Amino acid sequence: MSGDVVLRAEDIHKSYGKLQVLKGVTFEIRKGETKVIAGPSGAGKSTLLRCLNLLTMPDKGRVWLEDIELTDPKVDINKMRQKIGFVFQEFNLFHHLTALENVMIGLTKVKKMPKEEALRSAKEALLTVHITEDLWHKYPAQLSGGQKQRVAIARALAMDPVIILYDEPTSALDPQLVGEVLQVMKELARKGVTGLVVTHEIGFALEVADEIMFMYDGKILEKGPPKEVVFNPKHEVTKKFFEKIGRLYGERR
Amino acid sequence: MNINIEALLPYFPYIIEGALWTFALVGGGLGLGFIIGLPIAIGQVYGGRIIKTILDVYVWFFRGVPLLVLLFLFYWGVFPAMGFKLSALVTSMIVLGLRSGAYQSQIFRGAIQSVEEGQMLAARSIGMTKTQAIIHIVLPQALRIAIPGWTNEYAILLKDSAICFALGVMEILTRTRYVAISTGIYFIPYLFAGILFIILTYGGTKIFNIIYEKVQIPGLVKGGM
Amino acid sequence: MSFWEEFLPALFSGVITTLKLLAIAMPVSVALGILLGTARVYGGRVARVLATAIVVIFRGFPLMVTLLILFFGLADFGIYLTPYWAAVIGFILCSGSYQSEYVRGAIRSIDIGQSLAARALGMTKMQEVLYIILPQAIRRALPGISNELIYMIKYSSLAFVVGVPEMFSVAKTFNSQWFMPIEIFMTLAVIYLAMTTAATVGFKWLESKLRIPGIEITTR
Repeated sequence: MSGDVVLRAEDIHKSYGKLQVLKGVTFEIRKGETKVIAGPSGAGKSTLLRCLNLLTMPDKGRVWLEDIELTDPKVDINKMRQKIGFVFQEFNLFHHLTALENVMIGLTKVKKMPKEEALRSAKEALLTVHITEDLWHKYPAQLSGGQKQRVAIARALAMDPVIILYDEPTSALDPQLVGEVLQVMKELARKGVTGLVVTHEIGFALEVADEIMFMYDGKILEKGPPKEVVFNPKHEVTKKFFEKIGRLYGERR
Repeated sequence: MNINIEALLPYFPYIIEGALWTFALVGGGLGLGFIIGLPIAIGQVYGGRIIKTILDVYVWFFRGVPLLVLLFLFYWGVFPAMGFKLSALVTSMIVLGLRSGAYQSQIFRGAIQSVEEGQMLAARSIGMTKTQAIIHIVLPQALRIAIPGWTNEYAILLKDSAICFALGVMEILTRTRYVAISTGIYFIPYLFAGILFIILTYGGTKIFNIIYEKVQIPGLVKGGM
Repeated sequence: MSFWEEFLPALFSGVITTLKLLAIAMPVSVALGILLGTARVYGGRVARVLATAIVVIFRGFPLMVTLLILFFGLADFGIYLTPYWAAVIGFILCSGSYQSEYVRGAIRSIDIGQSLAARALGMTKMQEVLYIILPQAIRRALPGISNELIYMIKYSSLAFVVGVPEMFSVAKTFNSQWFMPIEIFMTLAVIYLAMTTAATVGFKWLESKLRIPGIEITTR
């Protein structure tokens, strides 16, 4: 098992005051897989993702990255985070750095790469997400939403992570910009980059995901291959959700 | 250092009494500053080019020249030249007022400008003249918005009043200086004065904050900064 | 006029003294302001309490009082500062405290996403503050900081009270000898106006140079 499994979560619980958001979530994801987490708002999807790299501390439960238990207090979490890429809904590009500098800063300051090497890796990552040279020296405020998010993906990619976590990466984008970001994510998935994506974009899941996990009320209600879960779900709740989404977003994109 | 705190005790009330002069300075400064500052602000927002230029020069002058220089300039120079024999206290109050007016005008200008344009448009559309709109619609909102900035001006004036000791006004610092020189003990009197200023600043600010809360319009999004 | 022949050179040396005061006090006060502001947001218990105490005291005391305590008050304890150093230290403590408020506000105004992204990359807290937060916060605090530095130019006149032979004290001395207050103090006023106006223009230029392209930074 451990040779193949990249990320494993066991019995994750999280409450905010009286509100219990995660009520015991367990799953694992293997190298090369792309998994999608879908579900209604408030089901705890974003919270779960942030618990995986400990940006949010779970109240209970454990997380493993390959062989190392992240939730072990003795572990150097900063070092571990270098191996987990995180893409935020609001992009969170560093305002005061150009696109190129945004991608480089993790390499130079955190991984302590020499500048030339970092420059090369950064440029490579940017080209992978189709950000061309004319945009490299622009600041985030000068980029469109779709460009910002692709730079954010490049920033995560450049660190050479073993998995990339995407937290609703297209939810903050204008509709006409969603496609370019999904395109990049699909290409990465097909290349074998391990990914865990929280999203409403069911078309994406149907196209490239190995598994969809439907989250409801703080737990994974059901999971399986996308075509099964979306079109032939076992639970009534799941059925209702995907019907609504289907009407809202259209069947295929 | 040999401190004889006992010897100092009778002097503390003397120093505290200076607060009366201090508040005269602050009150005069704030009051005169308000009377000057508000019209300047209105002129800078709604006035024509010539008026704006004149007002800009006034503000530039009274914000750009140090208080100390203004005090000496007016006390020894300008007022006597105009034929006035004004006391140090009155001169100081006037100078503080002229200067505060320049600073307050910027506070009010910011507040007026942060009242949404739609308010003025709506007022005009029901037939109000520009003047009526300013008085009945813009100012009531702007004055509320200006309170925090104005409270800050109070704190600044309170501390600047100490500079008037250079003209011999019998406020807190002048008295403290006399006490220190008479007793030969310097640290404690000045420390006492400093703490007194902190208390007066804090107390006054608290009062203004309470007023600010009391006059809040429910639901109004606090405009401006 | 023999008056001007004597006054102007003396005034000039006063100007030089003023500039000498500002040359040290300005940069060090900015450094102190950044230090105190950062300490109050990120520091441990001790650092935070200490920084807050400093800020409360030196913002609360009138600058005059601070100067008098440094020069006369410390003498009670056997610490004898020269007029120059009493003035410079006083300016640094006072202005630095005011500036720290701008820095503190600027740090807190930076959206939390920046911090999340930094940590997600694996940065330590110190790396996050040094490379991501402070570069943005200092830019945002710049209007406030420049404002305080321009105040310092004007308040440098207070140094006369501890005996520093800066511009104002020269003018005051001349006035008691020659008694030509309008000429003397208007000339002084003009010099201060020139200095503050030049500084205002200079800082606006600096702000535009450091501005992050694309972002509209609203200045007060």
